[in-house]
Amino acid sequence: MLQKAIKIGHSSHVVTLDVRPQLLDALSALRERVAAARFPLPLPGAPRARTNRDELLAQLDDYLVPRLRAPEAPLLAVVGGSTGAGKSTLVNSLVGQQVSEAGVLRPTTRTPVLVCHPEDQHWFSGMRVLPQLTRVWVRRREGEGADGVGPDGERLLRVETADTLPRGLALLDAPDIDSLVADNRVLAAELICAADVWVMVTTASRYADAVPWHLLRTAKEHDATLVTVLDRVPHQVVGEVSRQYGALLTKAGLGDVPRFTVPELPESAGGGGLLPATAVEPLRVWLEHRVQEPSSRKQAIERTAYGVLASLNARMPELAAAVAAQYAAALRLTSAVDDAYECEHARVRERLQAGAALAGDALKRWRAYPLDCGPGELLDAIAESLEALLLCAVTAADERIDNAWRREPAAQAPGLLHHGRRAETALYEDDDSPEHRIGVAVRRWRRELEEHAEDEVRALDRADKSALPDAEVVAALLATALLGGRRARTAGETLAERIGAHGALRLRDRGGRLLTDYLDKVLGAERERRLAPLDALDVNPEPQAELIAALSVLQKER
Amino acid sequence: MTAVTAVTGHTDQTGHIDPTDDVDNVDDLDDVDDVDDLDDVDDLKSSERSGGSGSSEGVDRSDLSGSSSHSSSSNSCSSSGHAERDSHAGEGDEDGDRADDAERAWDDGLIARRVVVGASPADGDFAAVRGAVAGVVVSGSSSPGASQSYGESAAYDTPSSYEGDASASYEGDASAQNTTVAYEGGLRGRLDALRELIGLSRTRLDSKTLAEAGQVLDEAAARRRLSDRHTVVALAGATGSGKSTLFNALAGVMISETGVRRPTTAAPIGCSWTDGAAGLLDRLGIPGRLRRRPLQGPDTQVLQGLVLVDLPDHDSAAADHREHVDRILGLVDAVIWVVDPEKYADAMLHERYLRPMAGHAEVMFVVLNQVDRLPGDAADQVLDDLRRLLDEDGIALGEHGEPGATVLALSALTGEGVDELREVLGQFTRERGAAVRRIEADLDAAAARLRPVYACGAGAASARGAIGLSEEAREEFSDRLAEAVGAAAAGQAAERAWRRHAGKACSAPWLRLWRWYEAQRSPYTTGRHVLRPPADEESTARARVEHAVRTVADEAATGLPAPWGQAVRESAARGAQGLPEALDELALRAALPDGRPPRPGWWPVAVLAQAAMTLLQVVGGLWLVGQIVGIAEPNLGVPVLLMAMGIVGGPCVEWASGLATRGPARRHGYEAERRLREAAAGCGRARVLDPVAAELLRYREVREQYVRVARRA
Repeated sequence: MLQKAIKIGHSSHVVTLDVRPQLLDALSALRERVAAARFPLPLPGAPRARTNRDELLAQLDDYLVPRLRAPEAPLLAVVGGSTGAGKSTLVNSLVGQQVSEAGVLRPTTRTPVLVCHPEDQHWFSGMRVLPQLTRVWVRRREGEGADGVGPDGERLLRVETADTLPRGLALLDAPDIDSLVADNRVLAAELICAADVWVMVTTASRYADAVPWHLLRTAKEHDATLVTVLDRVPHQVVGEVSRQYGALLTKAGLGDVPRFTVPELPESAGGGGLLPATAVEPLRVWLEHRVQEPSSRKQAIERTAYGVLASLNARMPELAAAVAAQYAAALRLTSAVDDAYECEHARVRERLQAGAALAGDALKRWRAYPLDCGPGELLDAIAESLEALLLCAVTAADERIDNAWRREPAAQAPGLLHHGRRAETALYEDDDSPEHRIGVAVRRWRRELEEHAEDEVRALDRADKSALPDAEVVAALLATALLGGRRARTAGETLAERIGAHGALRLRDRGGRLLTDYLDKVLGAERERRLAPLDALDVNPEPQAELIAALSVLQKER
Repeated sequence: MTAVTAVTGHTDQTGHIDPTDDVDNVDDLDDVDDVDDLDDVDDLKSSERSGGSGSSEGVDRSDLSGSSSHSSSSNSCSSSGHAERDSHAGEGDEDGDRADDAERAWDDGLIARRVVVGASPADGDFAAVRGAVAGVVVSGSSSPGASQSYGESAAYDTPSSYEGDASASYEGDASAQNTTVAYEGGLRGRLDALRELIGLSRTRLDSKTLAEAGQVLDEAAARRRLSDRHTVVALAGATGSGKSTLFNALAGVMISETGVRRPTTAAPIGCSWTDGAAGLLDRLGIPGRLRRRPLQGPDTQVLQGLVLVDLPDHDSAAADHREHVDRILGLVDAVIWVVDPEKYADAMLHERYLRPMAGHAEVMFVVLNQVDRLPGDAADQVLDDLRRLLDEDGIALGEHGEPGATVLALSALTGEGVDELREVLGQFTRERGAAVRRIEADLDAAAARLRPVYACGAGAASARGAIGLSEEAREEFSDRLAEAVGAAAAGQAAERAWRRHAGKACSAPWLRLWRWYEAQRSPYTTGRHVLRPPADEESTARARVEHAVRTVADEAATGLPAPWGQAVRESAARGAQGLPEALDELALRAALPDGRPPRPGWWPVAVLAQAAMTLLQVVGGLWLVGQIVGIAEPNLGVPVLLMAMGIVGGPCVEWASGLATRGPARRHGYEAERRLREAAAGCGRARVLDPVAAELLRYREVREQYVRVARRA
């Protein structure tokens, strides 16, 4: 799998990875899957999953894919560490000239600086690596965009060239990993992800800090090529501090990591001084060795690249699990809505069977019906009653959903909570309220019912045209018989008297179907409205399977 | 400074008002518009920021008697309240964002992901600092339901009432070991209010929220029991910043081990300049073997009363160090943050500690150590940058004599600047105000944390102004209930029935006969008599009742913080159980009695007139017949006239009486409707509105307590 010694135009022989195109294809397929993963629901693990996704994406885009496509590209060593650890001073001293500003005010480096040999510049001027950073070529002048953000808000990467660096090596001075500026931290993580060689800088007073240790452990997890530099060590305690640092590293399982110690000199405090070449000599030699010695170069590149590939085995399932958790949460939310509406649906049906719609006003009208109340009024009252029944069912379902969702962290997603929506819609009222929608549906139901009644009356074959029953009366009696349950038995009888038993039965059948249709339609529509924002988030189970599938394809290709 | 020794019995002063009394007054209270007190919070906050102190109106303005009329108070609120609320809403958002930032801050993936795992669960919040002691349940709060009468609250507000006996008793007790921390009336009032608040809201809020607030009380009480002649100051900072070196420099003797090994100090070490600090050190959990005394010398006098605690670092990989720090930071009176040129901008320091503790600026020193490592004027640059960072953290800097954090540069190693710190520290210790200020800052933080559960959100709901049930909402509720029992329909039916009866009684016999015949001829008799059905079961529209209750509960709950809104909804739902059945029963009882409706006085006259008309016709007819038969002498004119009068008069009388019945019929219908409506409304009020109003009252009471907690004297 490894090819020996390809001559690529400069003096050193490099050994590169032989990469089959299938692997690259599998990798880009996997990248697309990762990029497509979304975590819209605010579950406890979602922010973590989002960062993991971004990190993985950054590492694929900035490091793995470019590295496998162009194995002969220069080795990129990223210098990372805590604020004030002396990263910039170290880079400047390694290069032998002032390329990155150093200073006493923290955080110093806000725009990352990449230094390479002039002939290697083409590797980094394009968008091969770190495509999301805009390249700038000139050093910023005082007071101009001091926060690493360009005029259009894009992030910057300053590319410097220095012929003191050997060919095939590029150094990147990253911002602080524990910066007060959160963007800097994110950028630092991204840059470190793009490295072939991780150079971790810490100091005599910092080597026990928690944050750099997290980074070291991450490096170990990814099995990246790692170097640590213990910077700014007062010369009187060099021995002791370095011994202890070594012990800590060994304890963390990083005992074999190359360790360099740089003493504290007046120049360390920043202010533009360079450390004497002797202070950083061992590190420079080590780095040059990585570049110039084919076998160690191969080893360095291979280790980091395969480390990242191997880390996918753990990280992809993690992402897939987060996607699955999203889907499960969405499913729970949906089923809460479904349950609520099903329950209310059953309750409404039960109530209709029991004749609950013929109560209150409607009942009083019905009791007064033939003598003191017209059929129109009766029909009005019954329609209103039906409307109230449906409205009650919808609001009860909403309340039920609110109660169920209150226990779900995922329901805190913007736009999902009912009360927020209610407050908003209160402004333009009526037009979009459930009252309005149900009112429209019930009015439509009533019109259809009346049409049915008219049809039936017209179909009556009576010799005496004047004896035809009034269609409105028939409609009112029909509505009462349908909605009144047991207490409207007389309505059914009267109806049968008017239009004959057959006609009455037929009419009641049609009316019953109509009522069921409308009931389903109204509750279904409200349910859909309730689910719409959730559906809009588009949480589905496919990404999980796709992520795993992409991973297994990749594993086969390796 | 006021000192009070005999404050142990203070809970006895709280008046126990029977809560039911308040419930009886509910209707009056609803009219009292009550945004005042919340606006007061805003007032207080803003005046606090601007350094003003004109906030004496406080709670007094919103007094329970509600003398101010509804309209005037609501107007004043909506006009004066809006601007403030808007401005405050902005601040609230900003705070929220900041809190969010703090929570997100340590979830940067790759680099810092494990920081969160190791840290206490609620990091980013000041709670994290005191988190180690969490789980202490509120124990010292007084009985729930007890409320403070306002006369007594006024007593708290005037420190002068304490001054007399306090100073006397303090002098007398000065030598006693267990003198209490000096207590100002305002602070004590606030603590009492917080205790009340916790008691009142225990059944409504989850215990976690309350436990945090209760902890403030506990800590305040614990500190109060201990010596107030001492000021406990902790030295905190990152590993390698030189805490221990500074500690030794202040003590003048090598007490705390210093070294290049990181982390050096693993357990807190205490050093007391004066005797009698044992209780304080016990509270910090510092064992006897780690207690030291400073080198006796001239400097010792300067720091009289100081108890200095050297803390382990907060940022090393050793997690138990952080736990120590978090625990002790919650207990000390003041903190000296030691930073060095390398680490002064660490995110961990600022985001996890300084920002959440910004309210404690007055009991905070920030010391830039190791200035000897900086060349030339770099020290000033770094110090300025440090000041800028602190300012960005929201920490008030104590410059130009204003209260706030003190920022100093020094070198513990060379001794440069240490004397200045000693001077400042000595001054600080002699004032003896640190403990009180610390508790006040804790209270402020607790109040800010509790704000979302007590103060209503600045959403669209509260923009409408009033909290609670408006008159319209009550009206609407009654209307809905009336609809549910069918009051309007019943009234109309009664009116029509009455007119029908009247018409029947007063109509002309011939017309009546004709109508009867018409009815008989039609195949579908509409006039056939319907047997009166048996009384209906479940005559009330269940759905309408349910909907009415839900609407009114939602209405009442708008603008309330979530837990209280939920409580209102629950109490409404409880009241709604059995409401439909009660309404069923009511509808039966309140319905008009069966049988003939009462008749107006003119009715017999009308009937008599109709009968007279009939009689006239009969007499006329008989007369004519008599003429034909020959009994009477022929005279056509009179009988025909008589008959015509009868024939025309009958319908006339019917028409006239029809006109005359209209009014009484309508009255009759109204009466029927009114009876049902009032019965239903009364039932609804007793079962739903009153419990809801009681719940609102309870919230209002709690909010008043909250306002007292949040206001800073």
